[in-house]
Amino acid sequence: MRRQNRLGFRRLGLTERLLAILLLVAAVDFLANTYLFDSATTTAVQRDDAARIGELLALAARAVSREVPARRTEAARALATRHFELEWKPSAAPGELRSPDPALATRILAAGPELAAEGQRLIVRHTHGSRDVTGIVVLADGSALGFRTYAGEISLQLSFWQILPMLLPTLLLGALAWLMFRATMRSLQTLVKALRHIETPSPGGLPEQGPDEVRRLIRAFNQMQRRIQRQQAERTQSMLAIGHDLRTPLARLQLRLDGAALEEETRAELEHDIGEMRHLLESLQAFVEAGGTQIPPQRIDIAIMAATLVDSAADQGLDARYDGPDSFEIMARAVSIRRAMSNLIDNALHYAGNVRVTLARAGDAVEIRVEDDGPGIPQDRLEEVFQPFFRLDTARTRDTPGMGLGLSIVQAAVKLEGGTLTLHNKSRADGAGTGLAAIIRLPLPAGAKPA
Amino acid sequence: MTAPSILLVEDDVSLRMLTARALRENGYAVRTAATGAEMWVMLEAEPAELVVLDIMLPGANGIELFRKLRRQSEVPIIFASARGSEEDRVLGLELGADDYIAKPYSARELIARIGAVLRRGGGEGATKGDERTSEVHFEGWTLSLSRRELRSPSGAMVDLTGAEFDLLATFVSHRQRVLGRERLIELSRTRLGDSSDRSIDVLVSRLRRKLSASGGEPPIVTVRGVGYMFKAEVRRG
Repeated sequence: MRRQNRLGFRRLGLTERLLAILLLVAAVDFLANTYLFDSATTTAVQRDDAARIGELLALAARAVSREVPARRTEAARALATRHFELEWKPSAAPGELRSPDPALATRILAAGPELAAEGQRLIVRHTHGSRDVTGIVVLADGSALGFRTYAGEISLQLSFWQILPMLLPTLLLGALAWLMFRATMRSLQTLVKALRHIETPSPGGLPEQGPDEVRRLIRAFNQMQRRIQRQQAERTQSMLAIGHDLRTPLARLQLRLDGAALEEETRAELEHDIGEMRHLLESLQAFVEAGGTQIPPQRIDIAIMAATLVDSAADQGLDARYDGPDSFEIMARAVSIRRAMSNLIDNALHYAGNVRVTLARAGDAVEIRVEDDGPGIPQDRLEEVFQPFFRLDTARTRDTPGMGLGLSIVQAAVKLEGGTLTLHNKSRADGAGTGLAAIIRLPLPAGAKPA
Repeated sequence: MTAPSILLVEDDVSLRMLTARALRENGYAVRTAATGAEMWVMLEAEPAELVVLDIMLPGANGIELFRKLRRQSEVPIIFASARGSEEDRVLGLELGADDYIAKPYSARELIARIGAVLRRGGGEGATKGDERTSEVHFEGWTLSLSRRELRSPSGAMVDLTGAEFDLLATFVSHRQRVLGRERLIELSRTRLGDSSDRSIDVLVSRLRRKLSASGGEPPIVTVRGVGYMFKAEVRRG
């Protein structure tokens, strides 16, 4: 789709373009060479022909001139060969004097200069497209010696078999160029791939490979990536620092509130505000921790964990349900996985008001589906919601808690376990209403027993 | 009974004063220190029954200070951290902290933790060694009272809600005794304050399901018309 232009044709890639340029150059080069070779050969042939014609004609003219007119016809016939016909006439026919080829005449005269001496005149006609050269030598006494011969035989032999060996290197060159172009473009393709997955950069950057320009591009890209990573790290660090610095005054505020004489309602409101700030700090902390933790995985019962989270929500009077086995043990980091599931459940309850968690083994993985019957996420924003600090409700509505880190935390936690997180909008068979399904897949060690 | 003496080590002046006041109001004798050096002076002058230690203290590294304190003394320690990170919590508990609390904490929360640690450490007269880890074993299960964790016979961590944990802790400390629903609510008062009889039944059935998930018989039995009984053998330490 993206590679179509307005006319609907598939747009050419850089490799194809380069190859097309090469082939065009080769074709022009070939044509030019062929033409030059052809004309050079033709000229050489014509020169040879002219010399031959000149010498023979000069000899014939001299021999015929020496004879008396009565014997000239006989003499001319005696001198003729199969490839060089000669005929003497008492006078030149007017038609034979028309449409001469002076260039060929000049070349012939160069070989037999006496043809134009002592009152003689040479008129040559070379019919284009034919091999025949005809003409007459008007002798000193006005009689005419007509001749007919061939020319340009070799030039016409510049045939397919001559063209093929000339074309062969071009074809080989084309094939070689294709391979080299592809090799050259590979580094560029690696770069393109890396650009697409910029959120998971390789630690050492991309290897600088390929031609100079591509190398420079990769270097610039690596530098940019390092800058982005550094900025992200700095941003994270400064947020953490702010978080740390906020915790102490917040603790003071909490304790002051505990000791203050306040109406119960005011106290509850203030408690709620502090709780919200605390929650923000916790989610920030979780986001930073999910990115990389020193804590090793441990054996946990993921089914009980999911059921417990659902029970806690149900205990608060919320519409939460768990379907799955009573027990399913896996190796994972308890805190981050619990937080991941809890975030998904909280999201569902917040946006849809209900949640259904199912857990089942799926091949070499355990699949945890967190589904709701809410409005889902607009299809074109399904990618965006994983971005840290992204909020679907752009107008920072007051009822959505958190910093837009929820799904980033889930994704980081799941990635830490080598698992995947996918989101998709459900569409029911009857088309009535939709909902969001968030699916966590965590790999099981090989040979894990089915639950 | 004299008020338990607590040493509060906290570098923020206001927070130190506020915390100390809250603790005094709740019947503790509180001394305060702003740095690690001050803490040593205080402890030498007079031992404390519990230390609340801020891990981000300036001067000596909080972790180092903690290690030194743990080497020299058996005093129960509650770790307070402004980082609130999971790694801090794990590290603190591994180093032998009796509990961990993240800032901001409320006075109620801190006092509950202090109370729990003091009860565990001193209540039964055994303040030494393994008692600090306060683990309870039954039928292969391990219940850690300090970490509030339950592990299955296969070593897997089994999540419990706060109420479920409190209920299970109550059961294991009253094993082989029939407990009525009201008595259970009373004994598990920290979390079950507003529980009804019915919710006790729900909690018990959830606990049973979790404790039988790996195939065994649940150790909690119903005594018809009276309540419940925890029948498994319990081993401490």
